[in-house]
Amino acid sequence: MSLPYYVPGELSVLLRILKNSFLKRPRSIFLVFLSITMGAAVATSFLGIAGEISHKMALELRSYGANILLEPSALEGGGFLREEDLPKVKTVFWKYNITGFTPYLFGLADFTVGAKHERGVMTGTWFYKQLEVAGEEPSFQGVKVIAPWWELQGGMPQDADEAVVGAALARRLGLSVGSRVESAVKGERKSFRVVGIVTTGGYEEEQFFAPLVTVQSLLGKQGKLSRVLVSAVTVPMDDFGRKDPARMSKDEYEKWYCTAYVTSVAKNVEEVMAGSRAKPIWQIASAEGALLKKLNSVVLLLTFLALGASAIAVSTSLMASMAERSPEIALMKAIGADRLQITAIFLGETLIISVAGGIVGYLLGDQLAGLISHTVFNSAIKSPLWLFPTALISAFLVAIAGSVAPLRRAFLIEPVRVLKG
Amino acid sequence: MASTIIETAGLTRSYGDICALKPLELSVPEGEWLSVMGHSGSGKSTLLNLVGGLDRPTAGVLKVGGEDLLGRDEDGLARFRREFVGIIFQQHHLVPYLTALENVMLAQYFHSVPDEAEARFALERVGLGHRLKNRPGELSGGEQQRVCIARAIINSPKLLLGDEPTGNLDHKSTTMVLELLRELRAEERFTIIMVTHNQEVAAWGDRTIYLDDGVLVREERKTG
Repeated sequence: MSLPYYVPGELSVLLRILKNSFLKRPRSIFLVFLSITMGAAVATSFLGIAGEISHKMALELRSYGANILLEPSALEGGGFLREEDLPKVKTVFWKYNITGFTPYLFGLADFTVGAKHERGVMTGTWFYKQLEVAGEEPSFQGVKVIAPWWELQGGMPQDADEAVVGAALARRLGLSVGSRVESAVKGERKSFRVVGIVTTGGYEEEQFFAPLVTVQSLLGKQGKLSRVLVSAVTVPMDDFGRKDPARMSKDEYEKWYCTAYVTSVAKNVEEVMAGSRAKPIWQIASAEGALLKKLNSVVLLLTFLALGASAIAVSTSLMASMAERSPEIALMKAIGADRLQITAIFLGETLIISVAGGIVGYLLGDQLAGLISHTVFNSAIKSPLWLFPTALISAFLVAIAGSVAPLRRAFLIEPVRVLKG
Repeated sequence: MASTIIETAGLTRSYGDICALKPLELSVPEGEWLSVMGHSGSGKSTLLNLVGGLDRPTAGVLKVGGEDLLGRDEDGLARFRREFVGIIFQQHHLVPYLTALENVMLAQYFHSVPDEAEARFALERVGLGHRLKNRPGELSGGEQQRVCIARAIINSPKLLLGDEPTGNLDHKSTTMVLELLRELRAEERFTIIMVTHNQEVAAWGDRTIYLDDGVLVREERKTG
């Protein structure tokens, strides 16, 4: 079949060379196409779900516990935080990143069950409280939200005289679900019905948990809080995030404040809780940050490995093809083709395949990302627009990387030896 | 008096311990048709490859068109081949999937810009104006060799090298090809160096040199 008459001579020859190369070695061309497509598809799907994975994992990691602790500042507030400030936490700049919070008020109390007496920590808290904030969606806050890892035998208190007792304290007092316990704080007495026994493996097993309002009343500290634990979705800390905000320029501070570092979210919450000092709980925040960082690194590494494997596959196919084409290359060199011209012909071929591979790879990768997101996180994913050029660039990179060794072989072909006889 | 296009001094080519071309002193004036004869392994193809910039000498001086080829790198030699040399192979070495016209245009493509009209004219000059769109497989041996000649002359080379160009042709085709070369040389004024086994073919040249075991042993000049 002749090429259209309007194709310029230079292109006509080049296109004829390219066309025949495709037609004469369909298997080799298909293998190159397949390798590039797979590379682009894996890169597209991995990079497409990388952001989704980070977000979902960050949410999953919130079940590890709160990552921000609000305590009364040493300088103001008289040693307590104010309960009336709590709704403001749902109005801060990073409100959508705050997945939950719960207040605590601690006091010492004497507990009596029959003949058994023990002095212990009485903790007032929210268990699962609906919070109404003007202009915001209603939300539920409390230990059920920020400490889903509590192993609770029984249930959460619904009434003012119901309590949850730590497993160790319950064992010593011989308490079980349904038992009654007498408490006394500075002469004030109150009877509680145990509705739950909590096991955490931590200090909570030594405590007695009752509704905040009840404990405030018993301790005579109405409206006061000892601390607030906040759980927030944050991004891993980096060098910039670790800088001291006090020493930042205005622009740097703005950038820091607008990045969801645990420190900037903590600062954000601190601003609305009068007399508070917010501190990241580093063992949680660091572990999460490290995990998310590693996760991102693994995704990137897998992407590069997939692209590398594709490039090797492309290289192997082209090497075999190059051996087959050595007489053609030798002839081109004999009649004056230099290395640049040889490169243009063979790289041109591979780049044409890579455009097709990049497009098909993007379409496949997009589907694959959707499938992974659906299977692992049970949610749909929308590929960002930048993934298409990324897929094409990945395909180009694979094509170029895979062409290096075959081209070197082409450069080494000696016309005198190949065309002999 | 014609100027010298090729000049060698102590030109040597060895492959390991084997010396394919022993120090050779040779001078070729511009426009000459030089035939190179010798039996297999005598060094005639080695000489042709060196002069055509397809191979590098082990020692000595090789000046083509006044320039020492040893000073050129790989790409420099490629440029030299496309701008200065036309090569006719015994096996034709045409690209099988390109038509006769495209095979000629391929040489133009590497030289500068393909010009279909020029390529067509070159094929008409070698008597293949009616076979432009045929692929090598559809042409006879003589026709393929004429395509090879058209490809060799398309970029107006100063030096036309033939490595047994008629070795695979019958007597009639051989005569046709040699007559064609004589006509083209008269028009284009290029220099021809042709390697051959055949005394009759060598006689078409102005001068014949004989190589034996890499050494120039004899030289005959055409008289009259």
